[in-house]
Amino acid sequence: MDAKRRRLTVKVKQMEERDLESVIERAQGHDAEALGEIHRRYVRRVFGLCRYMLDSRENAEDATSEVFLKLQRSIESYDGSVPFPQWLLRVAGNQCIDVLRRRNRGRQVIVEVEEGVVVEATSSEPSPLGAVIRMEERAQLRVAIAHLPENYRLPLVLRYYSELSYDEIAQQLGLRRNHVAVLILRAKQELRRKLAHRSK
Amino acid sequence: MECYSELTCSLFVDGELTGDAARHLRDHLVTCQRCRDLVHALRAESRVLTESLRELPEEAPSPEAFSHLGFSWVWGDLAMMAAVLALGSTLFIWIDHLEIPGALEWFNPFSLNGLTNLMFNLSYYFAHGGTAMLTEYVAVVGGLFLVLLLGGSVLLLGRRWRLPKNGLGLLIVLLTFSLPGFALERRHEEFVTIAANQTVDDTLLAIGNTVRVEGVVNGDLLAFGRSVEVSGTVKGDLVSFAKRTVVSGSVEGRIYNFSQSLDLDGQLGHSIYGFTQSLRVADRGHVGDGIVAAAGDVSLEGEVKRSVDMLLSGNADLSGSIGRDMTVTGRGLTLTNTARVGGNLTARVRQLKGVHIADGAIIAGKRDVQVRVRKSQFARSRFYFRQALSFASAMLVGWLGLVLVPGFFRETTQAVGSGWRSLGLGIGILAGVPVAIVVVAITLVGIPIALMLFAAYLTAIYLAKIWVGAFLGWILLRPTGATKYDWLLGLLLGLLILTIVGFIPYLGGLVRFGIVCLGLGAFAWQLYHASRPAMTA
Repeated sequence: MDAKRRRLTVKVKQMEERDLESVIERAQGHDAEALGEIHRRYVRRVFGLCRYMLDSRENAEDATSEVFLKLQRSIESYDGSVPFPQWLLRVAGNQCIDVLRRRNRGRQVIVEVEEGVVVEATSSEPSPLGAVIRMEERAQLRVAIAHLPENYRLPLVLRYYSELSYDEIAQQLGLRRNHVAVLILRAKQELRRKLAHRSK
Repeated sequence: MECYSELTCSLFVDGELTGDAARHLRDHLVTCQRCRDLVHALRAESRVLTESLRELPEEAPSPEAFSHLGFSWVWGDLAMMAAVLALGSTLFIWIDHLEIPGALEWFNPFSLNGLTNLMFNLSYYFAHGGTAMLTEYVAVVGGLFLVLLLGGSVLLLGRRWRLPKNGLGLLIVLLTFSLPGFALERRHEEFVTIAANQTVDDTLLAIGNTVRVEGVVNGDLLAFGRSVEVSGTVKGDLVSFAKRTVVSGSVEGRIYNFSQSLDLDGQLGHSIYGFTQSLRVADRGHVGDGIVAAAGDVSLEGEVKRSVDMLLSGNADLSGSIGRDMTVTGRGLTLTNTARVGGNLTARVRQLKGVHIADGAIIAGKRDVQVRVRKSQFARSRFYFRQALSFASAMLVGWLGLVLVPGFFRETTQAVGSGWRSLGLGIGILAGVPVAIVVVAITLVGIPIALMLFAAYLTAIYLAKIWVGAFLGWILLRPTGATKYDWLLGLLLGLLILTIVGFIPYLGGLVRFGIVCLGLGAFAWQLYHASRPAMTA
């Protein structure tokens, strides 16, 4: 029964992918309907990324609009080497970083001020985040992420929302790969601290 | 062997450890319980992070509203607009069924032309009525609006537990209205001019034939006049009642516009809220927020940063750019090669013929252009529901009339039978009362009386069909006993016939017009009769 359901899910997925391919092809030929369809399918995910990366809802909405406006041109450069959603999220991430860079008057968004030193968690204290399962706890976690400082939040979101590799994140943010790793770990430690604090 | 650091384990879990390093760690995990626990915990952590991030943080409302409707940010403002426009729209709906020859449109107080004429002439009369009188009126009207707004706010607060920012702005403007002595500078001249080197620190209430701002107004500008021109700077909001408003300078707040025409050729910090015949954002014009407007024709050549929502009786032309969604209901829509819409385009038009979207126009979101089918009202269940509701309420009103004032009800009904006398009297009242309302509003007794008169006028128009319906039923049934129930049965039959006849194309409108005149005439005649004995006594 389970195997049957799994086969069915795989089939549906394959169909969706084929469908997506044709939509993208049409969009690359400037088909307005296809572009509208891509907007309908992905506006939520793109907005989500922008919302986590930027500081206000208005800015996130602006960035989302801008991503889809530019998509008419930029989609021509999509070559299918990575899954489309991932590519789109990379474009959206770049857009957000552009916004942040403009806000910083052209300076880099995250500046490496120190060598990547990480305070090690003590061995007797495994991550409390893994036990965050209840809905309200997850809601708390989301709020905590939204309130992280920018230098922790951006790499964390790019890793776990956009699912980019450390190298890609390093490239987008203009950092070294090691520093990205350190920032992501620090972000997690900060979240653990915040959530442990809250649950007390 | 020494244990691995959390950083290395984290890299391993995220699949970022390669080659030998990954193999060594994997080997180590077989023997080391501590590192195994750490890797498990980190893996669970990554999963939780990925899953949690699929939702948005609670403080951010769902983007559905933004992407689909495009104006979640204006809900509060729409509610405010709705409150202001509610009265007007009910009149529009009612008058929609009346077919009046085009040449007489200007005379029809309910058409857009007639209404704007009436409104702008009224505001012009105001302008010449004297500052003192206006201040009093403004206080009364401001108070009235305040009560309305407070009521509306309570409702909104109940729903969202917070007052929308823009609504609050409007509230503050009107508060200033209702407290005329508070930080308000008044100017009432033929030509009110704030010269280029002049600065007004307070909110400025300017009334005149021409109001021209070349300098700086640090507060809000409330302008009444034939022509309002802002080529300087208004740091607050601009509230304009004029025949023509031109902004070529900058307004840093919002524009609340009740002008016959509004031209924006300069910079606007926030939104335009407009009730206007023609609205134009010229190519140098920039709107920092969005536009919410009920208008005749709209032409957008400049830039609007956020959404545009419009209810038009004419056409919308877009050759500039809109940052978010564009939602239009109107006769036609034109997007030129330079047009740019950052979100969805939603249009409801009368004919697809009226829609021209150039190939070069960019629409980032979905394009949804549909013909607004107006004739299909008979196919919609909502229409029958509304008719049934309106029928039931008319019957209820008739029944109340029969119970409360049986004599008056019957005599008015019979007065309908006088035919030409009622018809003539009715036409006179229908056309005359609006004029009287305007006159009353600008003479001594003032706006409260005018408002009461207006309410009575609307009530009488509503009652007209009941008298005529009852009369029709009465002549058809000719009840012998003439009990209350015979009358009600007659009313039922009469209203039914009138309702059905009212839906005949063209003739229906004429019939409805005739019914209103007949009923009004009979009502007025009977009122006159009923009051005469009392006066002579």
